[in-house]
Amino acid sequence: MAHTRRDFLRAGVGGWALMSLRVTTPNVFANAVTAAGTRARDRDTILVVIQLSGGNDGLNTVVPYADDEYGRNRTTLRLPTDHLHKIDTALAFHPRMEAFVRLYHEGHLSVVQGVGYARPDQSHERAMRIWHTADPQRPERQTGWLGRVADHVRREVDGDTSAVFVGPIARPFALNAERAIVPCVRAVEDLTQRDSPREMSEVGGAGVNDALLEFVRRRMVTARAKSERIKAVTAWDDYPSFELAGDLRTIARIIRADVGIRVFFAELGGGGIGGFDNHANQLGNHGALLHQLAESLAAFVRDLERDNLLDRVLVMTFSEFGRTLKENGRRGTDHGAAAPMFLVGGNVRGGLVGPHPSLTDLENGSPKFHTDFRRVYATVLDKWLGCDSQAILGQQFETLDFFNA
Amino acid sequence: MIEDKDRKADPNWAWAVYEPDARRPWTGTLAAHLYRRAGFGANWQQLQQAVAEGPQATVSHLLAPGSDVEAFDRTYDGYEGGVGSVNGLRAWWLRRMIETPHPLQEKMTLFWHGHFATNGAALKQTRLMREHLQLLRRHALGSFAFLLQALARDPALLLWLGADANRKAAPNENFARPLMETFTLGPGHFSDDDVREAARAFAGWFVLRDRLRYLPREHDAGTKHILGQAGEFTGEDVIRIVLEQPATPRTLVRKLYRWFICETDEPGEDLTAPLAESLAADYSISAVVETILRSNLFFSSYAYRQRVKSPVEFAVGVIHALEGMVSTTQLGRDVAGLGQDLGHPPTVKGWPDGRYWIDSIMLTRRHNLAWALLQGGDPYGDKLDSWKVAQRHGYADAESAAQFLLELFLQDDLDPDVREMLRRNVREDAHTDSAAALDRLTYAAVTLPEYHLA
Repeated sequence: MAHTRRDFLRAGVGGWALMSLRVTTPNVFANAVTAAGTRARDRDTILVVIQLSGGNDGLNTVVPYADDEYGRNRTTLRLPTDHLHKIDTALAFHPRMEAFVRLYHEGHLSVVQGVGYARPDQSHERAMRIWHTADPQRPERQTGWLGRVADHVRREVDGDTSAVFVGPIARPFALNAERAIVPCVRAVEDLTQRDSPREMSEVGGAGVNDALLEFVRRRMVTARAKSERIKAVTAWDDYPSFELAGDLRTIARIIRADVGIRVFFAELGGGGIGGFDNHANQLGNHGALLHQLAESLAAFVRDLERDNLLDRVLVMTFSEFGRTLKENGRRGTDHGAAAPMFLVGGNVRGGLVGPHPSLTDLENGSPKFHTDFRRVYATVLDKWLGCDSQAILGQQFETLDFFNA
Repeated sequence: MIEDKDRKADPNWAWAVYEPDARRPWTGTLAAHLYRRAGFGANWQQLQQAVAEGPQATVSHLLAPGSDVEAFDRTYDGYEGGVGSVNGLRAWWLRRMIETPHPLQEKMTLFWHGHFATNGAALKQTRLMREHLQLLRRHALGSFAFLLQALARDPALLLWLGADANRKAAPNENFARPLMETFTLGPGHFSDDDVREAARAFAGWFVLRDRLRYLPREHDAGTKHILGQAGEFTGEDVIRIVLEQPATPRTLVRKLYRWFICETDEPGEDLTAPLAESLAADYSISAVVETILRSNLFFSSYAYRQRVKSPVEFAVGVIHALEGMVSTTQLGRDVAGLGQDLGHPPTVKGWPDGRYWIDSIMLTRRHNLAWALLQGGDPYGDKLDSWKVAQRHGYADAESAAQFLLELFLQDDLDPDVREMLRRNVREDAHTDSAAALDRLTYAAVTLPEYHLA
């Protein structure tokens, strides 16, 4: 018999799987599906982390333009003052970050300055590992801080998928978990069932008295419902054509579908050569990356604002280290230490958090940190995700003040 | 199914050899159960042979399948020889699992891969991971004592743990700690002092340029105090000492119990004691596995469908049952996307199991993988054909082929209304295209909740 596989598709495979998904206790499942449909967990907050790979030059991102030391040490990389987007009389955003100025003036952007940790590591791999594990004393530790959040959710409340990585590179170690599975997502099609379902037909009948089977059945109903909700949401087209913008567009779509994912992780700079690691001829490449970051994030914010979702979302950027104050003779900069982190969202207070680090009191040629990065993590965990920071970070850190009261 | 729930707590009953009788008959359901646990599911020929030969003969066959195993392993070792990446090894291993004449050996190799949880991502040489997996396979059903001694000198494991430099002046605990915490005793059965002293005993062992080296000048000849014993111990002594502790066989048996019998219920100490004693006597892995597989408890409702299939079990099971072969390079990627990346366990504690495999995204991906395998287009191509398999075994019309497939995948143990609906769909669709209708039936069967249980 001729076996045309195209018919496999035409006949609507999904209908079979779906109809055969027998619901043994119809009321419970009906409630589950309805609850999902009415966004019962409407108040859940969402964290989107953006990793800037390679070591971002904080000094040419949030620029201390009025400080003579800046101009003196940056002979070719000094950004022209009249092109900068001024925050105040001392600091300004890079000329290509015009979108950040809007976010800043709208009160959606906080800049935490001088973030780092004691005895900073200057190897990309080890420094990144420290930011991922959130454990400078034990970088060999086998879970990432966000992986531990996913484990916590899974263990404590038998929760469904709570964290995903969206992007084209290997999953960053921050998401490595012991028990929870944190998936990599390239596109929403990685989260939706391939076939298109027919009408849901509930088959009645006696229930099976087996907890494990019942668990799988329930999760299957949830899986189908979530897949359908993601499919039902359309993506907004008004994003720039950068890779990061595409990833944030995917994230916005999943957020809008409201399927219970609380942590998203995206990345900028690791897909191409060098990324933020500009030891030579930094100016053009660094400007282009900052432009991608600013424009992609601004589009993401506008997208979320359309459905009043911005209040539920917090974006946090980080990089494994900043760079040296003095440029290195090749129109580039070398591995440094402290750098600023950006926090964007409807509930951030907006403005600067902490002073700009001194340009005369340096360590290995780089500005010193005054705010441990784990204070930022702890603030995000405790005040935003509602996840006990001590359980995740292993010790208590003083939180920062960058949210609206 | 043996329904002797109240007898579970009685070790004499639990570990006695299962003998079928009228009340507890030997059926295809139990034969398939045995193959799911001792391998990656049965194909039709295996199922029929098992039903005909009975449980004990089938277990004997699974433990010692005959002489072609060595030739098979040699052939595959040869294939793997030229592979240049851990993901290449992953592909060959999946292929082994699908085709192996010794499924229990591969299943136990997978068990030890999860137990010793060595991640090959950071290894510079693929050879090290190949040798690591071959070591696990060689000892998979042999002596745990030999396995452990061999792993204490395995470059892949030592590099992964960061235990590749162990100097007298700075004893490295990166092997000693997981040795006690994860590989043998388990938490609560040793102190930090024991770890520190054990690390001293391993001083002198290095991995230099990807080769194991012993540097006598770095060995610490002093007296060490480990788990209540004192002496001028070496690494081999440490292994001997941890194997002498009663916690080691107990911990291993609990893990084997979870692997072979049940993930939903922790066994009591009384129940596992006879197995722990057997293991403590000579550390023969196959003796314990044999006791488990032949037992009343194994064939009881306490075990039946009380495990969740891991992604590897799920994917290999579908392909093996349909007597086909697909690109296992692609399959390795897809199975990794389901949470089980062979060669890259997430932490030294290995993979999660049970309910952790099942969340909504992973179920959606299992759906999509089954769909991709069966729909005939890219990336897997038209390699699996439900209709041809049914015909090969004498089921020549769509109606009887449908019954065959439900028997093959679920031993017909599914909700009667669902079964009726699936068969009705085949009847209705078979007029236009039997082959597609039967592939759809297979797709529906392997995405039923029951199929995700082992």
